[in-house]
Parts: sequence; C-alpha cells; structure tokens
Amino acid sequence: MGDLLKDKVAVVTGSGRGIGRGIALLLAEEGAKVVVNDLGGSVDGEGASNTPAQEVVNEIKAKGGDAVANGDSVATMEGGENIIKTALDNFGKLDIVVAVAGILRDRMLFNMTEEEWDAVIAVHLKGTFSVVKPASILFRQQRSGKIIAFSSTSGLYGNSGQANYGAAKDGIAGLIRGIARDLGRYGVTANAISPGADSRMTQSVPQSARDIRAASGIEAQSAVTPLELNRDPEDVAPMVAWLVSDEANDVNGQVFHCQGGQISLMSNPYEERTLRKVGRWSVEEIDAMFAGTLGMDMVNPAPVQAPKE
Amino acid sequence: MANYLNGKVAIVTGAGRGIGAGVAKQLAAEGAKVIVNDIGAALDGEGLSNTPAEEVVNEIKALGGEASANYNDISTMEGGEGLVQSALDTYGQLDIVVTVAGILRDRMIFNMTEEEWDDVIRVHMKGTFTVCKYASILFRQQRSGRIITFASESGLIGNTGQGNYAAAKSGIAGFTKVAAKDLGRYGVTANSICPRANTRMTQSIPDSSRQLRSERPSDREEVPESEAMNPEDVAPMVAYLASDQASNINGQTFLVYGGTITKLALPRRTRTIFKQGRWEVEELRKLAPQHLTQGLVNPSPPQAPKTA
Repeated sequence: MGDLLKDKVAVVTGSGRGIGRGIALLLAEEGAKVVVNDLGGSVDGEGASNTPAQEVVNEIKAKGGDAVANGDSVATMEGGENIIKTALDNFGKLDIVVAVAGILRDRMLFNMTEEEWDAVIAVHLKGTFSVVKPASILFRQQRSGKIIAFSSTSGLYGNSGQANYGAAKDGIAGLIRGIARDLGRYGVTANAISPGADSRMTQSVPQSARDIRAASGIEAQSAVTPLELNRDPEDVAPMVAWLVSDEANDVNGQVFHCQGGQISLMSNPYEERTLRKVGRWSVEEIDAMFAGTLGMDMVNPAPVQAPKE
Repeated sequence: MANYLNGKVAIVTGAGRGIGAGVAKQLAAEGAKVIVNDIGAALDGEGLSNTPAEEVVNEIKALGGEASANYNDISTMEGGEGLVQSALDTYGQLDIVVTVAGILRDRMIFNMTEEEWDDVIRVHMKGTFTVCKYASILFRQQRSGRIITFASESGLIGNTGQGNYAAAKSGIAGFTKVAAKDLGRYGVTANSICPRANTRMTQSIPDSSRQLRSERPSDREEVPESEAMNPEDVAPMVAYLASDQASNINGQTFLVYGGTITKLALPRRTRTIFKQGRWEVEELRKLAPQHLTQGLVNPSPPQAPKTA
C-alpha cells in the first residue's frame, strides 16, 4: 500500500469492471478515497444493477481502503453532477476525475443505425463532458485537480467497423487537448490514455469484424502493437495513478498509450509534408504536383478489392 | 472552367457561405452538378432563411454551371437522408459528399452549458454522420464515391475555449479514418481537411478568447494574415480529392490555407518505456519524469491568481 495519493479524493467512471476497476483499486491502494461509478449495465448499455461497483468497493474496503459506490449514468448532465456530488457528500472534496465509462456498438458505416451512433457518442463523449464539466468548476476554484479521459487507437488511427467509437474516442482526445488549455492556468491538468487491453468491452467485438480487419490487412496498419504484449486491463492503472499525483503537475494536454508493460507518449497529428505557393492553387497544379510531393509513400489503409463472386 | 469533375454529382453541406460556398463553386467550375445545402441559419444555429444557398446556386448558374439548393437540417437522420435523396431526385446519381456545415459556441469548459455542448456535437459530428452514412450505402453499391469531411486544428492540436468544438472536430477526424477503412475496399475514399480561413464562423470568436489565446505559447507556426485566410483557398484541394485522379488517396488529413497544403501524419509514439509485466507505481515515479514526460511543455502553465 503506497501513499502517492494520500488524502486525495477520486471519481472513476465505468469502474465496476475492466480498466476502470483496475484504476479504482490502484488509486485506493495509493491512499485515495474513491467514488466507484458504474451503471452496472451490460456492455451494450442496457440495464442497470449496482453489483459491479459495490463489489469493487467491497474489494477496496477489504484491503483497508475507502470507497463508495455510485450508479448514476454518465450520459446525462444530472448523472455527471450526481457523481461529482457523491464525492463531495461522502469525502468532502474532489481532486481527481478519471472517465473510463464506455460501450461498443460496432457496425460498418453503411449499416450503422442512429441508435448505435447516438448511444456510443452519448456514453463516451458526453459521458466525459458530463463529469469533467462540473469537476472543472471545482478544480478552477481550488486551483488544482487532475482529469484523465480515455481515448483509443480506434480513434487515433481508425479501426474498421467503429465509426461511432472512433469518432467518440478521437473526440475525447480533442476535448482533452482543448480543456487542457482552458484549465492549465488554474493549476489543473487534463490528459488522455489510449489503452490496449482485453476487457469485457473488447470481447464484444464480433469475430466477423475481426475477420474483416485481418482480411484487408487493416489490423497490421494500426502501428501501435509491434511487440508481443499482455493486454491485462489492470496494466493501465499505474500510469494513471502517477498522472493524477502531484508529481505530474506539469504534464498537461498529452495522450499516453498504455498496454501491458509498454507506455508511450503519443504526438499530436503532425505536419509531415507541405506544398506551398504564393496565391491560390488550381486543381490542375495540385494534380501535377501531388504524386511527387504530398503523395510520396502515401498508403491507402484499405485498398480497393475486387467484388466477391 | 475545367473538367476534373465532368459528369459527377456532388453534395456540399454548409455551402451557403464561407468555405462551403467556395467548395460548391469550385466543384461546379470543374464540371460537377452540385446540391448546395445550407439551412440558412444564423451562426448560432437559430433561424432559417433560404437566401444563402440560393445565392450560391445563382452564382454557379451565372457561370454556366449546374446546381440546386437544399435546406435540410443535416443534424437529423431525416435531414441527411433527404439530402442524399435530393441528389438522386435532381441529378440521378451521387459521387461526392463534402461535409462543411458547422457552428461555434465557444465557452471555457467550466462555463459551458449542456446546450452549447450538444448543439456543436450535433451539427458537426452527427451532421457528418447523417450524410456520410446514407451516401456510403450508395457508394458501396456503386463501388465508387468520395467523402471529404472537415476537421480542425482546434481538435487535433487544441485551442482555448473550444472544448465542444475540439471534441467535435477531432471526432470527425476519427470518424473519417474509420470511414476510410470501412469503405476503401469498395473503391470509396474518405479524407479530412483542416482549414484555416477567416469566415463568418471564426469572426464570432469573442475578442476575450483571442486575447487569451494570444497570451499563450502558440502551438502553431505563425502565418501572416495577408497570406492565408481566404476561405476560397481551401476549395481546389477539395476538388482534387473529389476527382478520379485522387482515387487512391484515402484516410488522409490535409491542412489547407492560402497557398499551403500540408499532409498531416497520424500520431506517433515519441517516447516509450517498456518492461515485461506490469509497472509498479514506484517504478513510474522514477522513470516517467525521466523518460516519458521530461521537457514537455505545459500548453497552459499555471498562473498566479489575479489580484483584485
């Protein structure tokens, strides 16, 4: 039992299972009092039970830690505010928000329904905003606070069959980059984690989607898994625990990829090649120049395939 | 009048003004028949008028091009579906979709209302999904098609007072990378543009926000105002990406302003620490500051409280 987070109070959303659970357990082990938020729903977002969050609370308490369960939905502003209020009501303050809650509804773009789109955007993206917004009011007033949100390589690189999830997850990276600039001046930091882990959520990815990705050579292009690595969801927690400690006060607006024993600092999208002239380009000029300049070494991540017979 | 897009039919959302209008006119000049979609609303999304889309259509027709106005609200599935249908009804086909429609509701995160969040996410992100989803059904069947979406450096790099817009714009970049992988096999491409331009939308940014941003260390290369910011400068690259010549350009993001076109690369790992098995917190306390985060610049360093 460490004391890196002694006297801190943390909220961890989606911490009934998987990555969130691992974070809640470790933050508690490092001395933080933790609000374990989990709707207790199934991975498609339906249904609610208080069991998973309460079980994590019980585990924390059994080890001598302090925690309380919360079953609010992050997908509404009221839910987000209640989660923050649970920290204040039970522990008198709030120092740390970790937004992990998420669902998957994988579907190819041409088949994706409005419900599949809306549900994923609501839980991931609005579910990050709904807790971060009320937390940021407190953090600004107290001139301290740590925000961690969860992005994904599905958003940073794109993953077939996940237009909703990729949009939400890259959206969260953008949100973090934005609010890091809103809040840094007040001594608050906001960073994102892109985790590589096998959890209940990733198990829900249909085998057909995995097959499609493998068949089109898409998986290999994602570029972030060159090593044989464990993908234990609990492996993500140590970096989160360090980032929410006072020792990481200067780390702000960054994205870290965490998978097994590998932790990487990710760059933003960056300027690779530039074509420049004085005045406006014509289409003909771009056509003449593109292949030999901007287009050099450019790879189509999903090249055209002949129709199946 | 060139002919890069002869025989093509295009939809451009948010094409009543600014960048969208420039794109619609350029596509028409290259021979495409264009559905000029604009709800004709005020910048905060309120109110409707038919004028801006109609004006762009008239401009295109005056130059000998072909275009038709559409006023659907692309932030609803019905609006997106109806817009795609209008291309089929009017011109019998659809080859190109360019989603430019957007609004701004800038606010610091601690003051941002639910409505400000929802409106921006809905118009930008869902407004991209609604049109691209229905277009992708056609594109997959016909085994060709072009999707060009609009992201922003506000999302890819970050900007003060734009948590909602940054989320939406980075989200569109993520969406487009996935769309490229879902659709590439069918001969369809999806790419994003990050524009820099002065338009009605950017003029709505409060002076207080500009002031705040100018006090910060900038992530951007400074560009002389005179060089850059004409919204019509964005259009030629869009027209090129929409053409048959660009059939193998897929899943890319281009920063476009003035006479500058930059290919943006995907994020890369800049530093990595690795061990077999799980890190201990104690180990990270030593290694993270030495290897992962050493020298990182806080984009918004803490400031002393203002004294009254």
